[in-house]
Amino acid sequence: MTDMLSYPEVTHIAVPFFIAAILAELLWIVIKRRGGRYETRDALTSLIMGAGNVAASILLGFIAWGFFMVLWALTPLDLGTSLGVVALCFVLDDLRYYWVHRFGHRIRWVWASHVNHHSSQHYNLTTALRQTWTGTFTLMMIVRAPLVLLGFHPAMVLFCGGLNLIYQFWIHTEAIGKMPKWFEAVMNTPSHHRVHHGRNARYLDANYAGVFIIWDRMFGTFVPELEDDKVDYGLVHNLGTFNPLRVAFHEWLGIFRDVRQPGLSLRQRLMYMLAPPGWSHDGSRDTSRAIKHKHLAQNPQDAGTPGF
Amino acid sequence: MALEILLILVFGGITGIVLLLHMLGLSARATLPDGAAAAKAWADEFADDPALEVILCRDHHAALITTARGRGIVWPMGADTTARYLTGARIYPTKTGLRIDLPDFTAPHIDLRLEPDEARDWPDLMEKPA
Ligand SMILES: [Zn+2]
Ligand SMILES: [Zn+2]
Repeated sequence: MTDMLSYPEVTHIAVPFFIAAILAELLWIVIKRRGGRYETRDALTSLIMGAGNVAASILLGFIAWGFFMVLWALTPLDLGTSLGVVALCFVLDDLRYYWVHRFGHRIRWVWASHVNHHSSQHYNLTTALRQTWTGTFTLMMIVRAPLVLLGFHPAMVLFCGGLNLIYQFWIHTEAIGKMPKWFEAVMNTPSHHRVHHGRNARYLDANYAGVFIIWDRMFGTFVPELEDDKVDYGLVHNLGTFNPLRVAFHEWLGIFRDVRQPGLSLRQRLMYMLAPPGWSHDGSRDTSRAIKHKHLAQNPQDAGTPGF
Repeated sequence: MALEILLILVFGGITGIVLLLHMLGLSARATLPDGAAAAKAWADEFADDPALEVILCRDHHAALITTARGRGIVWPMGADTTARYLTGARIYPTKTGLRIDLPDFTAPHIDLRLEPDEARDWPDLMEKPA
């Protein structure tokens, strides 16, 4: 009977809560005159990206769902639906999120989808909703395959993924400084995720966590928010457009143009798709590693500090 | 959740939030107080090619930059700024200033609001070899 298992569409149910929380954050900023910034067109683009993400998942969700159901038919394992199994699924799916997110920053093919989440120079609750339209094309659903094969029902896996995204909503704010120490130690927080959205050399490729920051601590990608290195939000090269279509597709077009350049070897063409963002066959662009090296050349005193 | 309700929530939510932001005066464009601010805005995008010369437009919303590599422009992206080189730019006069079309998918059109004499002089400055 577990083939018929269904969980609520938590990301849809959360929409009224998202709207209320955005209004509350805005009110807080306007009254207190601190704790973040809002700008009309930036927020509009973020919200349209969020709506488009929901639309894309309604339209294209059947692809990942079909893939998971094939795996579910193949696996002899079924862990059932007890609360303990759901909790374990949530933790393991968060580990899955960590790696998909890390690939999202280190493999240009996946970055092409994820880049739009980082394309705002703001950091407020609307930024959380600036989500991709092209996630399906990254094929990152493959990373979830082990969970289904281990016997977690696809509906449960997607339910946990939805809860994960809802958790990440509230951490997109400057209105909250630091949480209690024990909480900052285990959980992803506004402070940790601000670092993740930073374009400062120090903060590039750090804090990929979804819910539990322990993955970054385990895999060596954790960088704390430093008081004397204020986070500068956005992309290394910030966009010059608010057009949601351009925001959604620009990096895919960039890959297409790079791969089609005349005179490249097959390896170079593959590298334009799969190497870290900023890779180029002639060294004319900078990867995050090059940016960190350049920063250290200018600021040798930063060597050995977090992020370097 | 029924699709109609989701659509109404999303559409109503976006419209309401955007109207509120606009009415709160949060649509103002970034201003560059002085040449140093413009040079900093340029350096934020192109750290290893610093501005050698800065021409700030009179309303302080944009700046023409000269570097060792060529000419560029800093302009507002809402409350923030971004910058691009003017390589391959096409420049057209408009009623309120200039429109710059760039061969760049992430910055295809820049609308510069300039005073008439600036709009007259800037195209020559932009195209003059650095
Ligand atoms: Zn990211
Ligand atoms: Zn984020």
